[in-house]
Amino acid sequence: MDDFEAELKAGFLEEAAQLMVDTEQCFLALESSPHDPVILEKLFRLAHNLKGSAKAVGFNELGAFTHELESYLLKLKNGDIKTHAESVSLLLQCNDHILKMISALKADFNAQVDGTHLLEEIRRQIAGQTAEASPQSVAPPAPAEPVVAAQPEEAPVSVVETLPEPEVPAVEAVEAVAEPVAAVVAPVEPAAVAPVIELVPSAPQAQAPADESIRVSLGRLEKLINFVGEMVILETVLREQIQSSNTGLVRKTVHQLGKVTKEVQDISMSLRMVPLKQTFMKMQRIVRDTSGALGKKIQLNLQGEETELDKTILEHLGDPLVHLIRNAVDHGVEAPEARVAKGKPEQGNISLNAYHHSGSLIIEVRDDGGGLDPQKLKAKAVEKKILKPDAVLADKEAYQLIFHSGFSTKAQVTDVSGRGVGMDVVKTNIEKLQGDIQIESEVGKGTCFRIRLPLTLAIIDAMVVLCENERYVLPLSHMHESIKPQESDIHFISGVGEILCLRNENLPLYRLNQLLGKRSAKASESVSDYIAIVVRVGAEPFAILVDDILGQYQVVIKKLGDEHRNLKGFSGSSILGDGRPALILELTELVAKYRPVAQPAVNSIDKNAIPQRRAAA
Amino acid sequence: MNSANQSNSNEKSQSIGTRYLSFTLGQEDYAIPLLSVREVIAVPEITPIPFAPPHFVGIMNLRGQVISIIDLRQKLGIKPKAGAETAVIICDLAPLCLGVVVDSINSVLSPNVDEVTEKPQIQSGKNIDYITHVYRQGKKLTLFLDIRKILDAGDHQAVSSVTQVKRAA
Repeated sequence: MDDFEAELKAGFLEEAAQLMVDTEQCFLALESSPHDPVILEKLFRLAHNLKGSAKAVGFNELGAFTHELESYLLKLKNGDIKTHAESVSLLLQCNDHILKMISALKADFNAQVDGTHLLEEIRRQIAGQTAEASPQSVAPPAPAEPVVAAQPEEAPVSVVETLPEPEVPAVEAVEAVAEPVAAVVAPVEPAAVAPVIELVPSAPQAQAPADESIRVSLGRLEKLINFVGEMVILETVLREQIQSSNTGLVRKTVHQLGKVTKEVQDISMSLRMVPLKQTFMKMQRIVRDTSGALGKKIQLNLQGEETELDKTILEHLGDPLVHLIRNAVDHGVEAPEARVAKGKPEQGNISLNAYHHSGSLIIEVRDDGGGLDPQKLKAKAVEKKILKPDAVLADKEAYQLIFHSGFSTKAQVTDVSGRGVGMDVVKTNIEKLQGDIQIESEVGKGTCFRIRLPLTLAIIDAMVVLCENERYVLPLSHMHESIKPQESDIHFISGVGEILCLRNENLPLYRLNQLLGKRSAKASESVSDYIAIVVRVGAEPFAILVDDILGQYQVVIKKLGDEHRNLKGFSGSSILGDGRPALILELTELVAKYRPVAQPAVNSIDKNAIPQRRAAA
Repeated sequence: MNSANQSNSNEKSQSIGTRYLSFTLGQEDYAIPLLSVREVIAVPEITPIPFAPPHFVGIMNLRGQVISIIDLRQKLGIKPKAGAETAVIICDLAPLCLGVVVDSINSVLSPNVDEVTEKPQIQSGKNIDYITHVYRQGKKLTLFLDIRKILDAGDHQAVSSVTQVKRAA
């Protein structure tokens, strides 16, 4: 019995936490359209549900608190109290308080969180407003408590009253309530409740039948995906074997199995995909709070919240996004006076936009603020001794300076941002997710941070290459092109190494076996047996020489064990078609390891030198 | 199998409660706690890892999980026995999961208290740190190994030092 009760409580808390995300969103929406009956109605229902369930599973404190909140919401809904910024703030505080309660209760079912001051504030607002607006509507003149107590009776009255004209300004509505009170109190409650449901028009009801869902623990999901990965591998093994079999039926079945496997794989991968919505919603709150603290007026526009992303990536995306948004609010958008002086509208705009683009997810954080000034950035970098005074930088390179640790262009350190840590963390976090971040900016017009992320980290498109009879996996996203080089394309420069002349570029060339620490006697052999792969992911492009390319596959990434955490150059492993594991190469790391001391960039070598060599060859 | 019979015949004294899986490396017998053993398999196909220390044989696929394999003989400096029925013990040392190559698997031991002694105090022994206890049955010695310690002691360092050597080269 106890177990059952505990389970009920845990289930409720889980559900409540989700409800709260919805409510916070509604509260924020309320600020922009304070009299929207749909939102108010939804909020009221959410609070009502929460109260009911909380009491049902025995969280009386939570129930009592939501009861007060519900009465307040009811007043707002009925127009007894006008919705204004202050009430939205109060509602948000209540939201935070309930969240705090929920997390406290999660840790301990008997936890107590003190919320008296909020309760008093709610009562004050209820009492203050109703008492002065409609003193005769409620019988007892005493302020706080009785109003709440009288609430159930009062509710149907006001609902009926406000129904015909939901837009009626608050005070009038309340006064209108005053007269018919006596008359309408008579009808039984059910009759009065009915219109409440009608008041909720299409939106929430249309959502209900759309898609039923159940919640599954991530652990189970990951197990499933693991086994699906294994099944894909077994299927490949089977398919490779079937080439030698002549039985028509077996072949047909294996072919069929292949189709089904692909389907199952696609579905199970999509199970990990979650919409960005929740993460985006949090940003709304952050913009509201941050801009409020800084005295700026900022509107956050969201686009593409339905875009889906792998859950693991999403989890690590939150912090960088929060940082970028805060940065945009603090450093990006100017103070209202400054904006007006520049002839811009007083209210700043930040837009958060997500969309899919050629197999990647793009997230843009755009503000219409002052933009980045490359000259200022350079000056600052020189001052901070990050940059040499005589360095020549393109604008794009100058923007990259803000990702340098210990760099902040804002003179004053604020509570919000400007401590100079963060942007570098943003960049590393995003790079850890195999993504990158770019900046576009125009002085006076605004800045746009564009984050590119892979859709999933669990499966990647990859090339399997051969090097000294061992197979290695190269992420396709790292490869730019592959060519079969001619003897004459490759030159050796003492002290620099080998160079691949590709069209009008001179790329440093590394042999994969050397990068992997194998000293091969074959180094002097003819290069035309090899294949060169051009990589353009890091700061400098380079080429590597492999023995052969075996094919392009979708591979399931398996992490290497903890015992290899010091091993650089490999981002993981994967199981190939024959069931044997292969390492996934992180070429930029391998090259860095091979060439630890920065050598002069090859492209900066006197370009005349190479054509001469070519002529000599 | 012999050892198992012997320990059964010696039932008067009390068992230490922990059971061990004993195996052979070269001419010597070693054992690890049975609870840390997940399974024993034949030597699978192994993919070598560049830059890893020599006793890191490589990685293998155990039903979809990629597991590192270490060769204890290499690590402890023991000559492999010729023609041995080599096997791999999959050890679960949360959070690590490792395969350990051994010459042959012997038996499960449930030693009695009076048969287990502290390890000999030899200062210079390179492998002495990895040995937790010595188990003596008649004239036969079995050494209890601490696999986790074997890994902790050198390998994280080894991995990085190997890379440093390569870098210097």
